[in-house]
Amino acid sequence: MEALTNVLFGTLRVSTPLLLAGMAVLLSQQINMLNIAIEGLMLAGAFSAVVVGAFLGNVWLGLLASMLFAMLFTLIFALFVIDLKANLIVAGLALNILAGGLLAYLLVVWFNTRGVYSPGTLDKLPLITIPIIDQIPFLGAVFSGHGVLTYVSWLSVIFTSLLLYRTPLGTHMRAVGEHKEAAETAGIPVRRVQYTALLIGGAMAGLAGAQLAIGDLTLFSENMTNGRGFIAMAAVFFGAARPGLTALGCLLFGLFDALQIRLQIGTGIPPQLPQMLPYLIVVGTLTMIAVRRKLKGTSI
Amino acid sequence: MFKKALIPLVFLVVIVALVACSSPVPAPAEEKPAATEEAKPTATEVPAVAPKKVALIIAQGGLGDRSYNDLAYSGLQKAAKDLGVEIKAIESPDPVGEGEQLLRTAAESGFDLVITLEYSHFDPLARVAPDYPDTLFGIVNIAVDQPNVVSIIFKEQEGSFLAGALAAMVTTMDGNPKVNPDKVIGAIGGVQSAGIDKFLVGYEEGAHYIDPDIEVLKAYSQGFGDPAKGKELTLAMYEKGADIVYQVAGGTGEGVFEAAEEKNHYAIGVDSDQDYIKPGYILTSMLKHVDVAIYDIVSRLNDGTLEGGVTVEYGLKEDGVGLSPMKYTKDDVPQEFLDRVDEIRLKIIDGEILVTDVTKE
Repeated sequence: MEALTNVLFGTLRVSTPLLLAGMAVLLSQQINMLNIAIEGLMLAGAFSAVVVGAFLGNVWLGLLASMLFAMLFTLIFALFVIDLKANLIVAGLALNILAGGLLAYLLVVWFNTRGVYSPGTLDKLPLITIPIIDQIPFLGAVFSGHGVLTYVSWLSVIFTSLLLYRTPLGTHMRAVGEHKEAAETAGIPVRRVQYTALLIGGAMAGLAGAQLAIGDLTLFSENMTNGRGFIAMAAVFFGAARPGLTALGCLLFGLFDALQIRLQIGTGIPPQLPQMLPYLIVVGTLTMIAVRRKLKGTSI
Repeated sequence: MFKKALIPLVFLVVIVALVACSSPVPAPAEEKPAATEEAKPTATEVPAVAPKKVALIIAQGGLGDRSYNDLAYSGLQKAAKDLGVEIKAIESPDPVGEGEQLLRTAAESGFDLVITLEYSHFDPLARVAPDYPDTLFGIVNIAVDQPNVVSIIFKEQEGSFLAGALAAMVTTMDGNPKVNPDKVIGAIGGVQSAGIDKFLVGYEEGAHYIDPDIEVLKAYSQGFGDPAKGKELTLAMYEKGADIVYQVAGGTGEGVFEAAEEKNHYAIGVDSDQDYIKPGYILTSMLKHVDVAIYDIVSRLNDGTLEGGVTVEYGLKEDGVGLSPMKYTKDDVPQEFLDRVDEIRLKIIDGEILVTDVTKE
């Protein structure tokens, strides 16, 4: 029983940055401008969270900075792909490389350190105990006691869903994604809708980075996202850019990651086998989706 | 109008970005002042011999890493000061990709000895060395079989043995809130390879030397730069009753330290003295004294006793590896444990205890 609660608790912790990044990518996919720059945005968020949080001595200001700085980076991406009609993949990759190089450079010039910046004075975002659920035996151990951003990540799924399907702005986003020219003809301010969707996503990507940097750890390290943004992107395809299904994809990956870690330890199983598990699940499910689509004869 | 204004703006952004990105190519840091200052007296004493010239190619991470590269360079600086050799550090923004070029340039610049700290240079070095038979080369952490190459290897298994022995004693001690009564400790490697398992196996043997019933949990993070994964692995080990986790995973280890602090347990650092990173939560660090090795190699060069085609091993005996002074934790453990560790150290030096080297199996 304790092993199970440990795995599930770990799942929710591991899934947090995936959910936030997943919703960011989802919004971009909904307007048909897949945000490949997600890794760079997360890194920008992680970096600014640590730097501003440590500099101002307030972790909440660090959190705010992570959103703002990631949005600033998103603005560059948006400028290229929306106004300058740059290729999505090229612009996205360029931004990822820019973020990686720029942040590594800033580490050297500002802090005279390479690889890792860990200011000892930085606090972690607080853990939250949910009053009533905390008392329930199993649920309390799984759902209570997570970091703030874990709960925010769940809210981000609800927020994204409401935004897309319950607001005029969301309808506009989906219309723009479906057929930009038609949306324009219908009088939708296409450019503004595209900017809005990318910038909201940028803020969430910043939070995803902040979760790694000041939610889970208290440091920034070069490329600390380690492909989590791309995993989130896979989840978006898994969920056909629908918030609920995408979240499910993120949670599945989180579950198998939490599981593989525990399968490696003290079981005698060769570590390579469990390590493959999460990625195997990604490949497997994506294949299943492709097959299903083919049978249905639809795309997306 | 707006769009026309945009284009120059974007160019500006790109240029700023490019400038920011291209980290200034660090000109090889010439150590003239230190070298000449000390070289003068030696030159007057022994006027016939020109000072030996030594180049050190800096590995990935570069100078300023507060670890491996800086430590190696400090050994070289000490050699310049004590022995009057001329030294030069060669830095490159991409030491891996430019391996062959760096080695050739250094070899053609008239150095007596060119030491590379970059592990990945084993391949280009094997190609470059035969072209410069009059130059001696040195490489750290891996053996390159060429008549003019000196390979510098550390017996990490011996230092890890001591770490494992200490951990095995501490994990069951009374009156220390950071440990539980379970006979379980852990170790996390970056990837599963002989180079990493060398540490883990030594650690495990050290633990079992103290108590064969100690369970040593092992896991791999699949990378050296993922602190979040390091933390998850460590938390999972703590869940299974471990209370001391040895990290052999580079930057991933930062997450191991964070987990130790969060759960009020111990971690063990590696390579350099990492005890300061989370004071009190890092029981000790398994040190590799690269500085000692570099100094030793350069002084052998200076004596004229350095020969190519050999592998020089630095273990406990040569003070090439060892445990940190435990600045923040030595009061947490009884003196008898530290005495026992020292006893084991002497036994390894005497050859009474043999530690397995998995790279030689």
